[in-house]
Amino acid sequence: MKNFKTIISVVIVAVLVAVALDGMFIVNEKQQAVITQFGRPVGDAIQEPGLKFKIPFIQKVHLFDSRYLEWDGDPNQVPTKDKKFIFVDTFARWQITDPLQFFKRMGTERSAQSRLDDILDGETRDQVANHDLEEVVRSSNRQPMSAGAIVEIVEDTLSRITVGRDSIQKIIQIRGNEKAAELGVKVHDFRIKRINYVEDVRQQVYERMRSERNRIADKFISEGQGEASRINGQKEKELQQIRSEAFRKAEEIKGDADAKAAAIYNRAYNKSSQSRELYRFTKTMDAYEKTVDQNTSLILSTNSDFYQYIQDITK
Amino acid sequence: MAESEYYDINIPPQIKKLGNYMSTIIIGVVILILGYLTIFQVNPEEVGVITRFGSFNRVVEPGLNFKVPIMEKVEIVPVQRQLKEEFGFRTTQAGVQTRYSQQDFSKESLMLTGDLNLANVEWVVQYRIMDPYKYLYEVRNPRNSLRDITESSMREVVGDHTVNEVLTVGRTEVASKAHEMIQRLANEYSTGINVEQVVLQDVNPPGPVKDAFNKVNEAQQQKETLINEAKSAYNKVIPRARGQAQETIQKAEGYAIERVNNSQGEVARFNELYDEYIEAPAVTKQRIYLETMVNFIPKLGNKIITDQEGNGVLPLLQMQMKKQSLPSSASSSSPSQN
Repeated sequence: MKNFKTIISVVIVAVLVAVALDGMFIVNEKQQAVITQFGRPVGDAIQEPGLKFKIPFIQKVHLFDSRYLEWDGDPNQVPTKDKKFIFVDTFARWQITDPLQFFKRMGTERSAQSRLDDILDGETRDQVANHDLEEVVRSSNRQPMSAGAIVEIVEDTLSRITVGRDSIQKIIQIRGNEKAAELGVKVHDFRIKRINYVEDVRQQVYERMRSERNRIADKFISEGQGEASRINGQKEKELQQIRSEAFRKAEEIKGDADAKAAAIYNRAYNKSSQSRELYRFTKTMDAYEKTVDQNTSLILSTNSDFYQYIQDITK
Repeated sequence: MAESEYYDINIPPQIKKLGNYMSTIIIGVVILILGYLTIFQVNPEEVGVITRFGSFNRVVEPGLNFKVPIMEKVEIVPVQRQLKEEFGFRTTQAGVQTRYSQQDFSKESLMLTGDLNLANVEWVVQYRIMDPYKYLYEVRNPRNSLRDITESSMREVVGDHTVNEVLTVGRTEVASKAHEMIQRLANEYSTGINVEQVVLQDVNPPGPVKDAFNKVNEAQQQKETLINEAKSAYNKVIPRARGQAQETIQKAEGYAIERVNNSQGEVARFNELYDEYIEAPAVTKQRIYLETMVNFIPKLGNKIITDQEGNGVLPLLQMQMKKQSLPSSASSSSPSQN
């Protein structure tokens, strides 16, 4: 009998403990909670962390994450307005802002992710298809820094954009929030992570880049050849100038000297008829001496001035 | 009943003795467990974040710390450690010779530039956790958030630059703009992360166009070479020509000096002679004539003096010429006779 009483009291204590434990629950810093009674939510959502109480067994706790949650878009192949096929990979951060509403509409995070897929992927496709590729890639109308030799050849310009990536992201976020408002969630930020060309387009882009670089390379080589030719021409010109100037100067010097010599000779030889006679005579004598050699034969008559005395001393 | 008998038989006296201390042992174990649940260590580069019943309570500094068991929970956050995220490549083993993963991460690194070209950008983000509360409780998976933010920011910044800028002059600007943007977004997302550095690693043209980019560099070199060669040819010729020109001119000057000096000398000599000649023209003339003849006649090979009546000089002359040329003609004709 005593044993029976003990067993009964142990069971009662156990039940009380179980009831007490089920009446308490912890909501931590990462969580928020909704309490339901027979499946229907009661009271406000719990958004403050701490030890909380509820009616045991009758009420149930549903915990939801309170932090910024991830959403990663499916890399979509989308044509832009200017008919360029690209892959757009997006992401967003969202939060369950109204857990009550969220519980009613979505129930679980997974179904929310799937709804966000529908909403944000759809908006992304719409927006990308409505804009040129440059509007999606660029975000400002900044002027490129023009520096370096290459820039002189390919015009390093960025074409003007009117909308830009930031605005497109904002539009998608706003539209997404409009549609997601009734789900009890808020999209805090929506961003394009990656944009890449589809394979075909990528090959075309590579081809264009190659041809552009080839153009630059050709220009460099041509510039080099041009400059080399210029230097070569300058060399030839200077060479001829130097040579001809030297020749001219030399001839002038020689001519000047010739003239001086002639003047000196003339002054001396042309003094009088006698000086002219003496010059003629001495020069002729010099010429005699200089114009004969071993092979010269001379036949002299005894009539000549030199040998006349051989014949006749009296003459 | 049978089981207890079994125990009675088999329990050795030592264990039986132990049974007497059972309560002490249990208390000891409980104390140990409580100690384990109460005392915890925080390493120098970390802090501990303590929540009581799930609610944030306090942050504890490195060292030995205590918490109320069961009621309080601790999460350790390495706030002092510099953390790193790599994009476009992965270090598999850091060391003296760091090894990198051979996998292809071009999905991360290949991006569009503002002029719709492509560039391969690899970079690193170094960061620290500044606010452990935000890091733990405001964002789920903050590391992933940081990666998403970083990729998006880098692409947005690169998307606003031309391919030339990204590859050359704009590197630092891209890095600093990306840094700024990543930090701004990290704050907006309440990640509690402080971005310390954004470092661009390899920034390259994509593989298939690398050749073409290299060709540009080669062409630039070739241009320099062509110009240098031309300059060297110029330098080889022009200074030499200048020297040669000097030579020509010097020679001409030499000629001029010689010419004038010679003329002055000759004239001086003539004038001396002239002075004497004026005194006695006939005798002087005679003397010069005879002196010339004395020098002149011996130089001649053949001298024939004829009488003024002797007319047959020519045959005699021919005979003599023959006699002179004969020995040479005989010797030259002898080989042909043999």
